[in-house]
Amino acid sequence: MTLRVLDPTNEAQTVGGQPAARPQSLRGKTVGFISNGKEGTKGYFAHLERLLRTELGVADVVWCTKSNYSAPADAHIVDQIKRWHAVVAGVGD
Amino acid sequence: MQASVKPALLAKTYEVEDFAAAQELYHSHGWTDGLPVVPPTEAAVAACLEWAGMPPDQLIGIEPVRAQPITAHKLAINAVMAGCLPMHFPVVVTAWHAMMQEEFLLHGVTASTGGCAIFVVLNGPIRREIGANPTFNALGNSDRATAVIGRALRLALINLMDVRPGDIDRSTLGHPGKFSYCLAEDEEDTTWEPLSVARGMPPGASAVTVMAAMAPRQIMNEWTREPREILETFAAEMRANQRHYSIHGGNYAIVIAKQLREHIQAAGWTKRDIAEFIYERARVRRSEWADVGKGAVVRDRGDSVYTALAGPDHLLVVAAGGPAGGFGAVVPPWLGDKTKAVTVAIGACVDCAPAKG
Repeated sequence: MTLRVLDPTNEAQTVGGQPAARPQSLRGKTVGFISNGKEGTKGYFAHLERLLRTELGVADVVWCTKSNYSAPADAHIVDQIKRWHAVVAGVGD
Repeated sequence: MQASVKPALLAKTYEVEDFAAAQELYHSHGWTDGLPVVPPTEAAVAACLEWAGMPPDQLIGIEPVRAQPITAHKLAINAVMAGCLPMHFPVVVTAWHAMMQEEFLLHGVTASTGGCAIFVVLNGPIRREIGANPTFNALGNSDRATAVIGRALRLALINLMDVRPGDIDRSTLGHPGKFSYCLAEDEEDTTWEPLSVARGMPPGASAVTVMAAMAPRQIMNEWTREPREILETFAAEMRANQRHYSIHGGNYAIVIAKQLREHIQAAGWTKRDIAEFIYERARVRRSEWADVGKGAVVRDRGDSVYTALAGPDHLLVVAAGGPAGGFGAVVPPWLGDKTKAVTVAIGACVDCAPAKG
């Protein structure tokens, strides 16, 4: 017997943000780190900062840590993003 | 298999040869929890919507973080797949209302490596109307209603929020409650007020409480009738959870089965008395981490005291379980107070403030 069944997924299209233009180079730029606050992010971001500065010529690195590692970044962190040229959001598990 | 779009139903439809083909369709798309599903036909889904008095495009809510809209129609499809009858659907809708309250932190709860599940407690007349069984095997496969309602929440998370293992769901281990984790309170066989009333709902109203929870930890104490001794066993299990899992306080639930419940009730203890006792007893010093292999994070704060509960109101006391056996269970929180348990009355205005804490 033929059955007609329904799609259970969310077919509605949500309006998302548009990605910012990709920088051609990070030389002289500012990069923001958004840590989820877990222990593992410290060593990871410290190493990444060294690489960005020494190998890619990044001028400044700004470290931010979320107040709740399971929630989106706090508003004051999001407000800063427009002053950065690139963002790295990392988990520390 | 043929696919077509039928706008009036607001969902793509598929024609399959038979029941077995339907199973393969849903499993192959990642639309299941691994178990067989009831094929969601137009008629079955329409029956759920009709029972709840909802048009298909009724917005149940918008998930706060990822802005995903949840419509009655899509929720009903997942409820049918889980095995829900139309009479179960209003409970599923209410649970989703509760889950989408900001303080529940649905995204974090469902994405975390911690791997919690949605623990659901039913109160009020709805329990009997749908045939929920709050006695034997209350935290297991006790009855059809609680089994399919809990499963419907999980299937909807999978299909409406992409909460699939390895996708949004980043759980390291998870636990069996992620298939279904729903129980009804045994209001008929206790002198205590229902959980929903303790959390601010009107007496006699049907209500759903959701809590982001880890697996239940069963306790046993058959060798005393003294409430303090019985409850000390519960508190000890909570302290163990603080040491072995997370030291941070949050909502805990304790499920007290009939045998232990009768001893506590006979001594005149109310749920409030229980909560106040547990609040005082369920606490550990940070230095205790050193006893369980976590000495590296004690640092210079060994004397700091951590309570399992921010206050007595943060304990959810539930009467449920079979008639024999000195058993109970501690249902621990996902992770501290990052999420709050939420209680919503069935049929209540979605804009009404839910109970918090």
